[in-house]
Amino acid sequence: MIAVLGLIVGVVAGFVVRPVVPTIVEPYLPIAVVAALDAVFGGLRAMLDGIFDDKVFVVSFLSNVVVAALIVFLGDKLGVGAQLSTGVVVVLGIRIFSNAAAIRRHVFRA
Amino acid sequence: MSDADGGKGPGELPPERPTGGSGPAGEGGAERRSGSSGRPDGEGRDASSERAGGADAEGRETPDSRRIQGSSDESAKGAHGAGDGAGREEGEAAASSSAQPGTGTGTGTEPGGERTGRQRLAAAVWPPRVTRAQLIVALLLFVLGLGLAIQVRSTSENSSLRGARQEDLVRILDELDDRTKRLEDEKQSLEGQRTELENSSDQAEEARKQTRQKARQLGVLAGTVGARGPGIELTITDPGDSVEADMLLDAVQELRAAGAEAIEVNNVRVVANTYFSDSAGGVSVDGHKISPPYRFQVIGKPKDLEPALNIPGGVVQTLRKEQADASVRASQEIVINALRSAKRPDYARSSAQ
Repeated sequence: MIAVLGLIVGVVAGFVVRPVVPTIVEPYLPIAVVAALDAVFGGLRAMLDGIFDDKVFVVSFLSNVVVAALIVFLGDKLGVGAQLSTGVVVVLGIRIFSNAAAIRRHVFRA
Repeated sequence: MSDADGGKGPGELPPERPTGGSGPAGEGGAERRSGSSGRPDGEGRDASSERAGGADAEGRETPDSRRIQGSSDESAKGAHGAGDGAGREEGEAAASSSAQPGTGTGTGTEPGGERTGRQRLAAAVWPPRVTRAQLIVALLLFVLGLGLAIQVRSTSENSSLRGARQEDLVRILDELDDRTKRLEDEKQSLEGQRTELENSSDQAEEARKQTRQKARQLGVLAGTVGARGPGIELTITDPGDSVEADMLLDAVQELRAAGAEAIEVNNVRVVANTYFSDSAGGVSVDGHKISPPYRFQVIGKPKDLEPALNIPGGVVQTLRKEQADASVRASQEIVINALRSAKRPDYARSSAQ
């Protein structure tokens, strides 16, 4: 519950406060958000499986974000930033779907 | 969460299971465990291997997880029986390969109702509990929400420029710069006029002067006054009598596009409503019959006009293809003396004050 509140507060704060993102970070924000979404879905699934561990969640959340941003950064340096970020989004999207399927099985039993 | 390093999970998972003890290997336990951890991308493996690995986590987390795992045995069995075919198959395969002893013990000793994923979700959502895990997750989700909101907001703003590629942006910037410069020039000349009007001792005289100047400028365009200035002379000889009106019109249009300000051809002034038509032995311009060679006197920037005529596939090349010959000569002093009477419009009236 607290976690859901945290998400809501974050979204509201983002829209209301309008923080300025540093230009250096800006290109990596979308990818980082998708990676974090992946981590959250994984965490939700783990919770439904009854094996949720906050430590694992924190580590995987942060490492997901960092690795995703790193891949895009590297891609930009190599000149294949657009393609590589597409690849990252595709991979993360697949994982989000498979996690969502597991969650669905738990919640709807179907 | 279900990470790329989930691959190490299967390697570490079997060692964890036997440590749980060699108690009664409940079939339900085997089924449930592998049912949940046997899914393709190994979230469960990741988490449990993490638990097994971290000494810190071991003492604290394991009993709790045992309890949850154990307590969900029966309900999970029901759920799997109801429909999770794929999970069950994998589960049975795993059960036959490695016995699942640990969780069975937990079932007997730990209190706690049967909990499905749905119940766990409900329990986690309500009543709200302030635990370390909840707070940490809340913090991370706050960050996620923040990033999400920022990204959504910045994507919805300036959407037309945000998606543009770099070269497009550069072009747009260049165009803006050009436009700014032109407008600045115009502003400066207008300000100069204003200052002159304000400072002149005889304001009426100054106004008349400016009006006369303007009339002369417009007269050059309308062809009612003579003009002189730098420009080019285009001479078209036509030994084969093959030049037709449309070729001359093409030449005039090309010259205008290149910035010609005043044009005369064989002593006929070319203005906005000039027309060309074919006639025997030559071309008629505004009803005046002219015959070769056609001599165009053009006032404009020679550096623009000359290449405009000479470009590949342009006027000069086309004429040469037709056995005519065209020569262009730049000159610093072109004089246009041919005039044209201003025709008073019948219907259009100036809308200016």
